[in-house]
Amino acid sequence: MKDIVILTDDRLAEAQQVRDALIERGWRVETIPRTICLWDEAGLSAWAAPFSGEIAGVIHPAPTPILGAIEAVSEAQWRRAADEGPMAAWCVTKVFCDRMKANGGGSMIYLNSIHAEKPVGHGALFSMGCAAAQMLCKEVNQDYGEFGVRAFFIQKGITGSDPDARSPVSNLYYGVDLRYPARRLPEAGYLNALVAFLLTPGSAALAGSDLMADGGMVQYYTHRRQVEGRPYYEWPK
Amino acid sequence: MNGQSDARVALVTGGGKGVGAGVVKVLAERDVRCCINCNTNPAMAEQTRKAVEAAGGEAFVYRADITDAGQLQAMVDAVIDRWGRLDILVNNAAMQLNRFIDQYDYATLRRLWEINIGGYFHAARVCLPHLRKSPCGRIVNICSIHGKRPTGFDAGYAMTKGAIRMFTRELALELYADGITVNAVDLGGCRIEFKTGNAPISAFNPLDCHNPGLMAPRMVTPRDVGELVWFLCGPEASAITGDGIRVDKGLILV
Repeated sequence: MKDIVILTDDRLAEAQQVRDALIERGWRVETIPRTICLWDEAGLSAWAAPFSGEIAGVIHPAPTPILGAIEAVSEAQWRRAADEGPMAAWCVTKVFCDRMKANGGGSMIYLNSIHAEKPVGHGALFSMGCAAAQMLCKEVNQDYGEFGVRAFFIQKGITGSDPDARSPVSNLYYGVDLRYPARRLPEAGYLNALVAFLLTPGSAALAGSDLMADGGMVQYYTHRRQVEGRPYYEWPK
Repeated sequence: MNGQSDARVALVTGGGKGVGAGVVKVLAERDVRCCINCNTNPAMAEQTRKAVEAAGGEAFVYRADITDAGQLQAMVDAVIDRWGRLDILVNNAAMQLNRFIDQYDYATLRRLWEINIGGYFHAARVCLPHLRKSPCGRIVNICSIHGKRPTGFDAGYAMTKGAIRMFTRELALELYADGITVNAVDLGGCRIEFKTGNAPISAFNPLDCHNPGLMAPRMVTPRDVGELVWFLCGPEASAITGDGIRVDKGLILV
């Protein structure tokens, strides 16, 4: 039985929670060591070789966001964002989808961000990478779907443990908790059951789905300048 | 330096042929002075310049690799030296390799990324100081329906077009307070001479789409794109920003 789930990066709090929840449910989760470069195809292939026949799914979280006004972005930041974002997503996809294709299929889960569709403000580098991964997910379903590989793109929102929520760079997150219907940020862990479901045959009809799992954040919009006495939004100064 | 004219000034990357040439011709017909950027095909760019001048417009050709920030800066400096202003940036230069996911390697995908989105990003950066001085600053990013709809024959290209979609939205948010609008044109099924880096399209023919009736009697032309770019660059479009407008004659409507 295929029972191995590959987690490509465990720096994100939600990814850690998902890993622990999957282990509790009986999955064997293998986390790629941080010493392995995710956009080095040869190195990644060598690391994956021992698991080839047993991979049920792969979880690929979005990289740590790089925020900043377009004119403030350095060449080093540009290169890092390209490597950690789209280049890593493509390399992980190629290495693991080929293996799942050869062994009857599996789930390729991009644990990504609402910023694949919603701008963050001073976040072009990050959002561009998210949108690129979103299109990669759609193309994976075209290229690998007939071989039983199902790709999913989860647009996660901001959580209480997310450093973005208190970013000094983007005022778009100012008062972000007020945008949630529940008026509070969801905690890491709300994605656990969703990811587990996507790894099982019960989700077979969801192939290629773009899943908004943000606690209702981007659906909730208010014209009010203030909510409960606090400014709802201020443009960056 | 000739900065006295009220006529607006545009920089069109990849403006020598195809979609870019169509944009240049439409803008130039309406008294926008154009810098035609080219890299791999200066002869076609010269033809475009001659066509503009024959129609009474004003343009010059500047050869620059848009992946090189230094060359981009030199090109913008040349525009300012010549006309003293820059009002419109049309990001258009791109390549399409038509490869499946497993046919890419890191170097090829990285090169595609640097041209198709890096060129847009860096061109916007070097143009911004001048666009901010314009009474009607505009950035138009030529994008593609491949940034929304997968086709199964070029994942790398689709990734870059998805990235342009979000680059457009982010920049619109960042620059709205400066009065600069940023929009994308989601182009589909356009008839051009050839695409840079193109290989034969074996997996997809636009005329085989679900709604061929909408394609008749012709595919989208570069002039169609130019007309939309002209509208987006006008003062009447000042309330439209961060949008992606589809120009595909209904290709992906169903």
